[in-house]
Amino acid sequence: MRKVTTYLILVFTAVLASTAMAASEDATEIMKKSHLAYYYAGNDGLAEVGMTLIDKKGKERSRQFSMLRLDVEEGGNQKYYTYFKKPSDVSRLTFMVHKTSGGNDARWIYVPAVDLVKPISADDKNSSFVGSDFSYEDVSGRHWMEDNHTFVKDSALAGAPVYVIESVPKESYKGFSRKLSYIDKTTLLPMKEEYYDKKGNLIRVFKAEKVEVIDGIATVTVRSMEDVKKGSRTVVSFSSISYNIGIEEDVFTERYLKSPPRKFIK
Amino acid sequence: MKKIALVVAGLLFSAAPSRGEVSLDGFLQGLYGARLDSHNPTSTEQTASETRMQLRAEHFGDKGEFFGRLDFFWDGADTADYDWELREGYLKFRLGSSFDFKIGRQVLTWGTGDLIFINDVFAKDYRSFFVGRDDQYLKAPQNAIRAEYYHNIGSLAVVWTPRFEPNRLPTGRRLSYYSPMAGDIVGTEMGDEFFFDPPLPEAELKNGEVAARFQRRLGGFASAVYFYRGFYKNPLGMDLDNMVPIYPRLNVYGASIRGAIWGGILWAEGGYFDSRDDRCGEKPNVPNSSITGMVGFERQVATDLTVNGQWQLDYMTDYDQFAAQQPEGVYVRDEVRHLLTSRITKRLNMETITLSGFLFYSPSDEDLYFRFSTEYKYTDEITLALGGNIFDGKYENTEFGQFALNDNVYVKVTYGF
Repeated sequence: MRKVTTYLILVFTAVLASTAMAASEDATEIMKKSHLAYYYAGNDGLAEVGMTLIDKKGKERSRQFSMLRLDVEEGGNQKYYTYFKKPSDVSRLTFMVHKTSGGNDARWIYVPAVDLVKPISADDKNSSFVGSDFSYEDVSGRHWMEDNHTFVKDSALAGAPVYVIESVPKESYKGFSRKLSYIDKTTLLPMKEEYYDKKGNLIRVFKAEKVEVIDGIATVTVRSMEDVKKGSRTVVSFSSISYNIGIEEDVFTERYLKSPPRKFIK
Repeated sequence: MKKIALVVAGLLFSAAPSRGEVSLDGFLQGLYGARLDSHNPTSTEQTASETRMQLRAEHFGDKGEFFGRLDFFWDGADTADYDWELREGYLKFRLGSSFDFKIGRQVLTWGTGDLIFINDVFAKDYRSFFVGRDDQYLKAPQNAIRAEYYHNIGSLAVVWTPRFEPNRLPTGRRLSYYSPMAGDIVGTEMGDEFFFDPPLPEAELKNGEVAARFQRRLGGFASAVYFYRGFYKNPLGMDLDNMVPIYPRLNVYGASIRGAIWGGILWAEGGYFDSRDDRCGEKPNVPNSSITGMVGFERQVATDLTVNGQWQLDYMTDYDQFAAQQPEGVYVRDEVRHLLTSRITKRLNMETITLSGFLFYSPSDEDLYFRFSTEYKYTDEITLALGGNIFDGKYENTEFGQFALNDNVYVKVTYGF
């Protein structure tokens, strides 16, 4: 009898383990597809970006810039180019990121007023992007392989069905200890993300406020990030979006950092 | 030259393709600075008392683009008058797929150092730097033609400045300086003869400046070699007939490397300063050749806190002859001069507050220069800043020691539009 019990327990745990594994594989697959849909739409992209930073007292600041993106490989390395337009003290400043998946990103800034090209130490991916509630990593994406994903449940957000997936960093991570993502079942875009710290407190909330189909690609055109602890919020809207416009890799070099590609940036 | 630049700018303006509009922006700024030393032999009590408006205009078409930056200001600290300066006014265009040109009045920067310049032999404005003007004013514009050729193996940039453009150094009116002839720190309060305004090299074609850089990537590092032919940017020589400071001839040969490593950015740069008027170190009125090198490292040590450090060595050739030529009783620099620097930058409150400090310290010359500032972006348009410049030195004739009476603090308000 004892043997049978042991046998049953073994079988049971094996079945449990395999279903858990299947679910986590599915969850990983969903997160991968979501990552590709959100961060790798098309082979390249161009957009005018307006950013509103709202502090806890409700005081607003704004940024305006053009952004170019090129996917060197789908789901892998990417290159970003940012040309600031407003406010006046950063106008014409350019910023470039070579994102290496699994490695440290390389970043450069060009300050036209002093003709200065400067690499920026990019150790901390969690540091704020231009003072907003979005981090550098929020802009370019955290690789889905860096977290373990578990399917939590099917749910609905504003009437649209979503997958709810929990992600826990494989290695201890400063950005969050646990993240809940609400992934739209049709577009696979993240509609909401909740970030928790190691004490289980909610620290940040991401929301896709508006989704539009552009060149046949579902795109989050208005997104927001709320810093729960600081009480601040950043709303980012994308306009004049175009995909697959044939941005050459050459654009993401010092030459163009100093002299914006006017074909794309007005 | 100012007039020519304006005319050229005007022509470009009208000749540029009509597609696209001229975009206009800029800022309005008030800067007020007070000195901390009452015994300074300068004629002014304030180190800055100015209102400035900078207008920036940009226009681009299919063939090229124009950019202009024009400053109008009321300067109450120096001569109390209105003035203006064309900070930049250039045409930028591309020839074929590999040549980029930038022609006109422009600021130029290259090299790897943070406020240490070895192969960057372009004009600096220390008069602005020492009194709290924005960082952009450290670079004085040059009227130049810049051509850069891009190739798979690297890029070659050549800058020709037909008329030599010197560094802008303290004149004695607002900031005092050390005069070797007087053997003392001097300023215009002691007499107009102490107004520092050395004559430039003759405006001849052979007296132009040529600077070149070849740059390429080596793995994850950006490497470059440099060449310069022109004059010392500071008037380090002496015309013995007229007893006035002059700009001796200079060539610079150098190299640099910079890249990301150890979670930060590491850089190293070196150069050989070839004093063409005195290659053997025989003339007491011309500086000796020197070899100089530096290493630096910067990293973000905590969220929004960045720290860097640099160490520079400057080795003077034919030092024994130099030492023997020095007058009695004055401090004589060491054969090797060391300079250590460190910058700390902390951003707070969603990057609306920036605290920064920069220290230059030479253990061999025993002098230092410390600059600090607090900047608060009250709104996207309005920025308030408080800062200061502190100099100290054991001797009066060292690089920073000579400015020991120029300590100042300033307040600055900027409205951007």
